[in-house]
Amino acid sequence: MNKKIKKIISWTLTFIIMFVICLPGIWVFISAFRPNPEILSKPANWWPDVWTFYQFSQMFSIKGYVSVPAFQYLINSIVISLTSTVIAITIGMMGGYAFARFNFKGKNTIFLGLMLARAVPGISLSLPLFIIWAKLGLINTSFGVILVYVAMNVPFTIWLTDGFFRQIPKEMSEVARTDGCTRLQAFWNVELPLAGPGIAAAGIFAFLLSWNEYALASVLTRTMKSKTLPIGMMDYLNEFTINWAGMCAIAVVMIIPAVILTFIVQKHLVSGLTFGGVKG
Amino acid sequence: MEELKDNMAEVTLKNLTKKYGDVIAVQNMNLKIPHNEFLVLVGPSGCGKSTTLRMIAGLEEISGGQIYIGDELVNEKDPKDRNVSMVFQNYALYPHMTVEENLGFSLKIAKEEKKEIEKRVDEAVIILGLDELRKRKPSQLSGGQRQRVAMGRAIVRRPDAFLFDEPLSNLDAKLRTQMRTEIKKLHQKLKTTVIYVTHDQVEAMTLADRIIIMKDGFIEQIGSPIDVFTNPVNVFVATFIGSPPMNVIECDIVMQNDNLFIKIGSDLLMPCPLSKKDKLSKSSKVFVGIRAEDIVPSENSTDREKKGWNFEKSIDLAEPLGTETQLFFKLDNKEIISRMYNPRLIQIGEKIKFEIDLMKIHFFDHETEKAI
Repeated sequence: MNKKIKKIISWTLTFIIMFVICLPGIWVFISAFRPNPEILSKPANWWPDVWTFYQFSQMFSIKGYVSVPAFQYLINSIVISLTSTVIAITIGMMGGYAFARFNFKGKNTIFLGLMLARAVPGISLSLPLFIIWAKLGLINTSFGVILVYVAMNVPFTIWLTDGFFRQIPKEMSEVARTDGCTRLQAFWNVELPLAGPGIAAAGIFAFLLSWNEYALASVLTRTMKSKTLPIGMMDYLNEFTINWAGMCAIAVVMIIPAVILTFIVQKHLVSGLTFGGVKG
Repeated sequence: MEELKDNMAEVTLKNLTKKYGDVIAVQNMNLKIPHNEFLVLVGPSGCGKSTTLRMIAGLEEISGGQIYIGDELVNEKDPKDRNVSMVFQNYALYPHMTVEENLGFSLKIAKEEKKEIEKRVDEAVIILGLDELRKRKPSQLSGGQRQRVAMGRAIVRRPDAFLFDEPLSNLDAKLRTQMRTEIKKLHQKLKTTVIYVTHDQVEAMTLADRIIIMKDGFIEQIGSPIDVFTNPVNVFVATFIGSPPMNVIECDIVMQNDNLFIKIGSDLLMPCPLSKKDKLSKSSKVFVGIRAEDIVPSENSTDREKKGWNFEKSIDLAEPLGTETQLFFKLDNKEIISRMYNPRLIQIGEKIKFEIDLMKIHFFDHETEKAI
């Protein structure tokens, strides 16, 4: 009896807390499926009278009319985020391994430098970055954005993977080497599989950071050639009107892949995070 | 099984030295380990025994000297090219592989044929009795089983030499004794060179064909277990080998009535054994070493010991161990341990007469601490 009450209370509390956390998300989701006037109505209309896919069909030009080229933005977002994540993880993994396993001159200083780089607010770099990128002709190119995201993510992935590699006993690679592996084979066959969950976690973080990034992309992108979804959202901001429903719809498009991805690797993510959490 | 025997290799160390910055871990070590020998490196932590082993394995760079495996100089060779197998203290099994995969890993890396891998894994599994555990992951194994897999992984490679780095210290006492026997049996079966590092002198005594006792990067003594036990070259070896450790007392040498005596504390005069008279007469102080089993309570001493020298002391502490009772008393403010076989109940403070066989006493120079 007592146990049952406790269970009910804990579930109710969990529900309330989750509801509060999710409320903005729910609002975005609902608003994506209803006409604009309803969003603006006062007092607020909590549950839509009409459900409509109008914004989505417009975005993806199902009826031959494109308000905002969301599909192109989605492609840009995927290309930029995935590419920058893959590069950042590859570099970060190697860097993290080096920091975890080797002693070299200036190791601590370099590591500290990487951490300091993380402390700099990205937006403060936007102006110099814009000027340099403009001179290099990288403005409004996917490559330019990818480069920035890689630079942003590498210190972070190094820091995370360093922690994971530290968790793996040194003897693992040593025994593999006496078992006939080269250092690289030992890394590939033994240490990498063991660090897998951690690297997956680092990858997700890097991906989400790139996927959600707004400030720098807003400076570096101009047209649908390189604009990502967060920037594309601003297309709904017109001189005299704001298309809230459209914004919400594009937000839903943004949220879905991130949620799916997180669900897929959730198991690894949790084990990865706690794994690395013991010693950082 | 036949092929297991055809690896003939002796390991030779010449002036082997390891320095970490200014700190010397191993100093000018010279050693020849013949084929099929079970060699144990023993010493307190930090004596350089593990470093030596790791240098032989190729996991640690060499600061000076040469290592030969067979006739080949291996100084610059990668661990993978040295054909030695190492068993680590924490087993270091690959956690993401099953027992079978762990055992076959080295062969897979060497690109052996599948059939050959299976055959050799089967062999190892049979030798070590791991048959039922083949498909398990290391996390599903007990400590002893993990240890066995770690050894199996080494066997499968058919190495020129097995290197063991304190392989039993993570096991509980009972399992340790059991695995110790298994390692010994394994060595008899495989007939390869084994270099075994431990800080446990019991392990060293029971396993070794030859023991090397190390301290601060130097070899203190090399010899068979019996040899280092009965003829320790210095105080360090004397107190390190044997359990309980040898009693060592600092004593004065005095002349009385033309006879040489060893003065223990203020009240005891022990006659000097004839064989040592010449050597001892030149010095005024000496370290006297007596093993606990050589100080015997008179009530159960042998006839030979009865002819020895005796004294009476009151007991501070008695530790009954079943087959024997260890008696603690003080001589010259130093705690002395005596072994009483045929134990009986001992009262604290009880006065007991002890006999010492003078022929079994060890003497060490007061300055150099070397055996006289």
